[in-house]
Amino acid sequence: MTASEMRRAKRHLETTRKMKDMLPRFFMRALERRFSNEPLAWCMVGVPPELLKAFDLLWEWPENFGTICASRLVAPDFIKAAEGDGYSPELCTYVTNTMGYCKLWKERGEPPEESPIPGGMGNPSMLLGSGFICEPRYKWFQAIATRYLDVPVYSSDPLAPPWDVDPHDPRIAGHYKALLREDLQGQVEFLERHTGKKLDLDLLREILTLSHKALAYWRDTIYLRKAIPCPMGATDYFSAIIPQMYMVGEQEAVDFYREIYHEVKDRVERKIGIVEEEKYRLIWFGLPPWFNLGFFNYLESLGAVVAIESTYNVGDWFEVDLDDPLEAIVERTWRRAVKMHEYGTEVMPELCNPAVFGGFVGSRMLEEVVREYSLNGAIMHLTRSCRAVSFGEVHTRNRLAELGVPSLIFESDMADPRLWSDAQIKTRVHAFIETMAGRSPAGS
Amino acid sequence: MSELATVARAAELNAQKEAHVQELRRESGRPVIGYLCCFAPPEMIRVAGAIPYRITGRPGEPTSEADAYMEPYGCSYVRNIFAQALKGRLDFLDGLVISHSCDMVQRLYGIWTYYRPLPYSRLFNVPHQVTPQAERFFMRELLFFKESLEQFTGQEITKERLAEEIALSNRIRARIRELYRLRLEHPPLIRGSEMLELLLAGGWLPPEEFLKLLEDALEEIGKKRAAQGPQRPRVLVWGSLLDDVAFYRMIEEAGADVVADDNCIGFRVFEKDIPLSEDLVEALKDHYFINFQCPRTDRGPGRARFDYIIQRAQEYNVDGVIGYIISFCDPHKFDYPDLRDYLRESGFPMLLIDDNYSFAPAGAIQTRLQAFVELLKSGRALSS
Repeated sequence: MTASEMRRAKRHLETTRKMKDMLPRFFMRALERRFSNEPLAWCMVGVPPELLKAFDLLWEWPENFGTICASRLVAPDFIKAAEGDGYSPELCTYVTNTMGYCKLWKERGEPPEESPIPGGMGNPSMLLGSGFICEPRYKWFQAIATRYLDVPVYSSDPLAPPWDVDPHDPRIAGHYKALLREDLQGQVEFLERHTGKKLDLDLLREILTLSHKALAYWRDTIYLRKAIPCPMGATDYFSAIIPQMYMVGEQEAVDFYREIYHEVKDRVERKIGIVEEEKYRLIWFGLPPWFNLGFFNYLESLGAVVAIESTYNVGDWFEVDLDDPLEAIVERTWRRAVKMHEYGTEVMPELCNPAVFGGFVGSRMLEEVVREYSLNGAIMHLTRSCRAVSFGEVHTRNRLAELGVPSLIFESDMADPRLWSDAQIKTRVHAFIETMAGRSPAGS
Repeated sequence: MSELATVARAAELNAQKEAHVQELRRESGRPVIGYLCCFAPPEMIRVAGAIPYRITGRPGEPTSEADAYMEPYGCSYVRNIFAQALKGRLDFLDGLVISHSCDMVQRLYGIWTYYRPLPYSRLFNVPHQVTPQAERFFMRELLFFKESLEQFTGQEITKERLAEEIALSNRIRARIRELYRLRLEHPPLIRGSEMLELLLAGGWLPPEEFLKLLEDALEEIGKKRAAQGPQRPRVLVWGSLLDDVAFYRMIEEAGADVVADDNCIGFRVFEKDIPLSEDLVEALKDHYFINFQCPRTDRGPGRARFDYIIQRAQEYNVDGVIGYIISFCDPHKFDYPDLRDYLRESGFPMLLIDDNYSFAPAGAIQTRLQAFVELLKSGRALSS
């Protein structure tokens, strides 16, 4: 396989193209602060970024770093370094990407030059983990702090009720919310201890207000994709989550999502789709192949648009009372868990997520999604190294089949391009598209 | 086949365990509740008037039945277990209790109960860290579990009956520890495969009968055996679940003795008694959550979390450690590099066998085991 099979994504929206200017400005500001040795936390998705912002903490997302390494095709260098230390190729490649990065950094005494970000991820003074989604996330920071970086760790441990337990039962809600509340409190105490600052609740409230404004625009933008032709595709969708991860609680992020909303709305009004002739509308399940986001453009070249994705989406759960901002984070997390539960969580990962993004499409939600987004089919990315997100796709395929919606499950990875088999995947996509030909959208 | 009659009896019983349990169910009129993993106390299931049954897989059997419901990239043990259910071999179960020990087992619960619902099912949720809030959560979860069992069987779990049941299970633990001590001898007085055969019987036999089996084994070994035979390399086996004696037999055939272990049907569960304290729920929490050493629980960074393995290796005077990890078993795979290095620095070489719960290809595994045993032999020769 050659790297030439991998394609950077072509974005369709002006607003997401502008990120090229906006994000470097932000990263440069952060870099300047890093040079003055301000505390830096490496964090996992599942840590509320608003809390980090309230502590005026610098932060980095190793998972997102993994996606950048993947998109620049340098992830294999790091992954191989981790494998050389004995980490299994079966482990999450976001994890092994970070492990390899740490290993090379430790060996060379400086950030590996392979890093796609100048200066790499910076020297963390603490690790903030989260057990949201999967168990490798506990083991990941435990292993880093054992093997490579001797820094304090706080991993939050949220749990959600199983699919057959009623989350509306006040005793069940009390049971789970008590854990969430106490866990968040532990996280706050850890941050106070290691930053030497007291949490400013008024500031946290202001940050949450801005964050939730941005989320509201993002949610409304996602809803606009119900339009035919679809005004926004997966390449813009997966790119556009970045500002809310790094610039949360900033007016600039709110402006970005407002702008994206208005641009997409304008496209809906003017009936501008992302392909000239929209033939098929798809739902995408799983993580994208970050090293080959151009795959979505390939689908578009066949007249197939991804109108909705199962990951990183957002609902109404953030519309909570901000009077007590910590309780608001608990409530936001719990509401999301309850909503997901109502949508069917029999094959969901650990979904109690205190972060901003990150809903899943549950099995009982499928009918509504298929109808509202006028879907013809589903493409599911079975990521070998991320079973947490992809395990359950067979069940989802079964449920979609009951609705008359065909699915294609193909295997690869989110960060390791060595697992991408271009010809084989495209052959399967072609065959799948043929099965959809002649079918009218399931929702029509 | 073991030359110990008690072990041979256990093997015979284990081979027919489904039939035996169904007979027990018919005779007693009590429901059978299958369970996986070691967080939800089987003592509670018993006191509620049900028969606890530890579900085991059939290593190496095809699992294609599971393909219609599960991805190929999943724990092969989980696929194997679900394939047993789909083949109808577990149709006698009235209930199912699965602890949220790992991601794959959690998913197994959802898929199993969605496609093959049972009269009673319960996911026992388990925090991943040992913090005060996690302990409180676990205790509440125990109370919810108790309540759900009582609702299902209609039988109250009284404190008195629970204390009696815990006392009985502690007597079993004491006998198991006695048997483990026989492995301190060189050569060990009971082989690893024999020990596991006995422990597997504990997954389904009524505890009174299991206790008798253990006492018979102790008596038989006491009468018949003295430390004799060749002094072979001694190994500790660490890793994922082993619910079949085949792997220990392979090690024994390769020329080593399994004298200690750290896996979930092994010393992890029997190392300590459940304290018969005033608050039994707290005692169960201490035993099944805090003291149960599964790598799925994050006990913080640093190598101190492996100290107990080093101590066990020293206590049992082992020459090396064999890791057995089932494919896609993340908790163990994350710990392996640190544990391997720590063991090496402590003077214990380690061999890792990464297997898809089939012990196959047997020839390739056997060759690696033999090479490791040769290495251990040369190490022992050098140090003696």
